Amino acid sequence: MALLIFSVLFLAIFYLHFSLAHRAWIAIRGKQSSELDMRYVRMEDYFGQSFRRKLQHWLATLPEATNSTAGLRIYDHGRERIYVAPTAQYPGGRVEKAILVTEGAFACGPNCDFRNELMVKGDGDIGEGTALQAIAADGALQLGEAVTVRRWVDAAGKLTIGADTAIHSRATSRTAIEFLPGAYAQSLFAPEIVTEGRNDESIELSAGRRALVQIPHRAGQTARAQNGFDPAKLFSMGGGTYFYEGNLDVTASLHLRAPLVVRGHFSCGKESLLEADVKARGHITIGAASVVKGNLVADGNLLLKPDVYFQSLLHAGGEMRLSFGVRGLRERLPVAAHATRALTLESNVVINGKVSSAHRVIAISTPMAWLQSNKAKAWTQ
Amino acid sequence: MAVTVLIAVSWILIVLSILVLGAYAVRHYYFGYSRMRLKHPRETNELVGFVMPRVTVFIPMHNEEKVARDILRALVDCDYDWELLEVIPVNDRSSDGTRAIVDEFAGRYPFIKPYHRTEGVGGKPAALEEATELATGDIYLMFDADYVPGRAVLKMLTAPFVDPEIGAVIGRVVPHNIGDSLLSGLLSLERCAGYQSVQQARFNLGFTAQFGGTVGGVRAAALRAVGGWNPESLTEDTDLTFALLLSGWRTAYVNRAECYEEVPRDWAVRRRQLSRWVTGLTECLHNYWHDLVRARFLRREEKTDALFLLAMYLTAPIIVIGWVASLVLFFIPEAHAVPVLPVAMLIIGYLLFSNQATFLEIGVATLLDGTRLRALLMPLSLLNCFANTGAICNALRKFYWNRFWGSGGDGWYKTRRTRLGREGQAFSASAEATAVGAAQQSVKGIYYASNDGMGD
Repeated sequence: MALLIFSVLFLAIFYLHFSLAHRAWIAIRGKQSSELDMRYVRMEDYFGQSFRRKLQHWLATLPEATNSTAGLRIYDHGRERIYVAPTAQYPGGRVEKAILVTEGAFACGPNCDFRNELMVKGDGDIGEGTALQAIAADGALQLGEAVTVRRWVDAAGKLTIGADTAIHSRATSRTAIEFLPGAYAQSLFAPEIVTEGRNDESIELSAGRRALVQIPHRAGQTARAQNGFDPAKLFSMGGGTYFYEGNLDVTASLHLRAPLVVRGHFSCGKESLLEADVKARGHITIGAASVVKGNLVADGNLLLKPDVYFQSLLHAGGEMRLSFGVRGLRERLPVAAHATRALTLESNVVINGKVSSAHRVIAISTPMAWLQSNKAKAWTQ
Repeated sequence: MAVTVLIAVSWILIVLSILVLGAYAVRHYYFGYSRMRLKHPRETNELVGFVMPRVTVFIPMHNEEKVARDILRALVDCDYDWELLEVIPVNDRSSDGTRAIVDEFAGRYPFIKPYHRTEGVGGKPAALEEATELATGDIYLMFDADYVPGRAVLKMLTAPFVDPEIGAVIGRVVPHNIGDSLLSGLLSLERCAGYQSVQQARFNLGFTAQFGGTVGGVRAAALRAVGGWNPESLTEDTDLTFALLLSGWRTAYVNRAECYEEVPRDWAVRRRQLSRWVTGLTECLHNYWHDLVRARFLRREEKTDALFLLAMYLTAPIIVIGWVASLVLFFIPEAHAVPVLPVAMLIIGYLLFSNQATFLEIGVATLLDGTRLRALLMPLSLLNCFANTGAICNALRKFYWNRFWGSGGDGWYKTRRTRLGREGQAFSASAEATAVGAAQQSVKGIYYASNDGMGD
């Protein structure tokens, strides 16, 4: 009898160890995993488009509230209220908790606070110091100085992001984005992203014409250590790709003709021509007025000096800085630049595509005095 | 005298097993801790859709009529530009309806170019070796026939190739048949820890991820540089990982490139699968350990990690040796003369520390995935642990026996598909319906949302 009781108790205590697992198994048995969204595709303007679709659905299905008028339709969606007006103009300092939809233009004065999303089917003009939840505009959209957007901004027309404006998520436009000094966002995507002081006249492309260093060196030529490049540290990985052991700081103009992995920092002189991809386990610095046709990937920071023209993708594990006059453009696809830490855009930068950061993308003004001295320094290096 | 020797040997074996398993435990803790504290994983998700090389997708198939239609539909539905896409179903001597299904799809979609293999050495590496000669892509992607990729997976897998150092890429495998049997439920935990925790941690820490041969890809130039697939290997994927590593190429891991797979639901299938992995990985250990140790351009940590990875199945016999030695000491009265308390403290300390390491990884992974209900299955993983240990020891015994006598191994074994009569309806009911729309979007490249088929 004692043995029986002991056995039962022992088994009960033993089972207790697995009882939760047993119950979990009963709940799971016969089921399939559904954790993946098989339909997922990545789209840069997803937030704006998703909001438009939801709103369209609500307006088509929700009944109008009884207090609607000819000039203002009102819908109740749960605890949220939706106002639909032909156009709207808010005076400064107003606080609005409803979702606002305007069939035409929308404007507001300074220091308003919109606690819910705005849908503007015409052009939008947001006064300085205003706080927004999120805004989608089918026309052009101008965000004044020091506007705060808690989530995203999406515009079909030109989007102007005023000085010192903060956007805590994505900013997208199907036309162009003008990104003024002091503004920041997590990512920007548009056919053209421009910072202040655009000047296309100064661009001259002469990169590679006077290249002093060739990597790899041309057949029949003898490579020798020069201008910071030591051929003894260059090895083939096969497949036409090379790696360089240690830092590679080329002080002269470089012509890179094959993919290169640098196991240290990489820098090249002004007017270099990089026709292939470069990866550096440290920082990358590209000399002024260089042309970059291959992708640049740095585990550390990435700096493009003034007037660099890139036709590729940039990725930095640290910070990234695109200096005055940098241009990013390629034929078939948009270009993209992403940094894990801050990505800084100086004046007169034009990117046809996307800039993003896990931290923030920030525009800064390049003071002319600093620019002159820095440019002179860069060109004489 | 004999008893004294036996006691001494047992002690040596116990200490040895504690040291080896303790070292593995430290590694598991390190990976788990690293994964938890990670703020910004090393990833190229923000560049997804901007890296669009010409891609060849291989689908090795051998008697896959139950699953072939699902994967072909899924690939047709992917959001990759059809002009840059080539799909090569490698029909390796199938005797069922696989050929008809593949030909039917090829007739409808010009980018599907089947390769029907009717003779030659069997097995995936040999079939891939032949099919690779037909490929025109700059990047080769691979999916096993029972996998069902999501719409964005191709773009996600190509994004890491922005980095010229990346020779191969591996995505994440997620079992869909978690409730088919207790084994499949437990294997889902194992997969979850292996990918979400270990692969991601290793990649972030600067170690090479392990190329898995499916839901992954390789740069064509890198593959050529290392001499192509190794048809002799049972795990051509691991073989490739280390061949690439020794030439300076890295393997990237993309956690968001997720793909459903079917895990074995019964032990006979699982044992054979495990046996192949054990044989292949241990073979790689013997092939590469010397080169790894001598590799001039690998850091010491990278070498250590690589050796730990290749030797991981050797831990199973070491565990068994530790158990046997413990039993020997337990049943020999003379062995009890040693001070009991410090020894007991040592062993209990080790057990507490070491045995929880793999559970920590499972816990971390389920926490990150948010699959808490499944995490409760964890105590039952003990069953899996015992069964794995036995299967691995048996596979290693066979491997070393064959190696010693110079006889051939088990050869290639194809994991049996079940898919339990659902014929993939769960995955692809609407796939073809949206295929044309997807293709139209793909040609433009999906950067802006269209009016349909949107998700995030």
